[in-house]
Amino acid sequence: MKPPFPIEIDGKVIQVTEGQTVLEVCQANGIDIPVMCHFEGLPDVGACRLCLVELKGVPKLLPACTLRVAPNQVINTQTEKIKKYRKMIVEALFCERDHVCAICVANGNCELQDLAKKVGVDHMRFPDILQPLELDASHPYFVIDHNRCIMCTRCVRVCAEVEGAHNFDIKNRSYKVRIISDFNQPWGESKTCTSCGKCVAVCPVGALWSKSSYQGKIEKKKEAICDLIRKRKVNV
Amino acid sequence: MKKKTIGTVWLAGCSGCHMSLLDIDERMLEVLKLADIVKSPIVDGKEFPEVDIALVEGAVGSEEHLDEILHIRAKAKIVVSFGDCAVSGNVSSMRNYLKTQEVLARSYEEAESNDSKQIPNAAEILSLSHRVHPLHEVVDIDYYIPGCPPSADTIFYVLNELLNDRVPDLAVIGGPKHG
Repeated sequence: MKPPFPIEIDGKVIQVTEGQTVLEVCQANGIDIPVMCHFEGLPDVGACRLCLVELKGVPKLLPACTLRVAPNQVINTQTEKIKKYRKMIVEALFCERDHVCAICVANGNCELQDLAKKVGVDHMRFPDILQPLELDASHPYFVIDHNRCIMCTRCVRVCAEVEGAHNFDIKNRSYKVRIISDFNQPWGESKTCTSCGKCVAVCPVGALWSKSSYQGKIEKKKEAICDLIRKRKVNV
Repeated sequence: MKKKTIGTVWLAGCSGCHMSLLDIDERMLEVLKLADIVKSPIVDGKEFPEVDIALVEGAVGSEEHLDEILHIRAKAKIVVSFGDCAVSGNVSSMRNYLKTQEVLARSYEEAESNDSKQIPNAAEILSLSHRVHPLHEVVDIDYYIPGCPPSADTIFYVLNELLNDRVPDLAVIGGPKHG
């Protein structure tokens, strides 16, 4: 057991141990940080930037999910600067692709909608990019609509790390970035997909859904996936 | 306190937000104690008069809508962007991925319900703009009420705050809800 050491978060001194992330420490101590790409049990990648925090002595903001604790850290999580950026990030997520809540399978059951509520996005200050993207319905049970994807990459990680299939991956960068199946083939032709549906369960928005659901009627069994990961860790 | 005036209008929208406005039910009496509704599509069709508060539903999707919203901005002290189409374009803006001619062709020439299979040449048909814009891309907006439609509680909260000279803050009632 490594010895605990203190760090300061929002003026509060907290005992931590080496290897923990700042996000883990905050969540364990009731400090509320909005997250999007983070999913309990999956490796963190810092994709969405919503959990940005201020680390004293570092000029740029750092994502709490990938920031490891270290001695003498002084961290702020609720400054005006951070709140401003959080709002901007949620607005940018809404504007980058086509997020029409009213017609979406995830309406009312969507983490992006919840985030907008939480950080107070009442309108988007940026114009839509308006790039029409593909909808791949070639899989017998599931659909991926790239128009609604926010590139959190939870599906990529759950497929590779939990199911062990690694059907999904990522191509390109910036606004051309896409989720791909196998070697950028239609999902229905995938040799690796086991049709387990874990990707659908962890998707925070309406980008992945089962063909049996329709507008506003998606059912996401996120807790089941968390549970599975927890139980496996205990057994290993 | 002098009674305030409220005007409401819908542009490129479905009137659903107005239905939600009517859903405030008996609380309408409380609104009417503090204000007169002097213009609304569910009341009459006269030109938009000078008002204290304008609730504008729907996006800007045609030249007529553009003229109307510029007129309303000039006449109203407070303009409220009312509902998702006004706030973000929503369903009304889904045609932004298509050319205007394609939209008209699908609506009239290919429409199963249109026997003549022709685009009617009538003055009543709006001259669609190339792109549908949310209101704040065209005029300055004072307050936003997202939602498709916004709930009656949300609408009443915002109206009640404005009529009592307070600044509505959606965070008080759980935050802005899109969709």
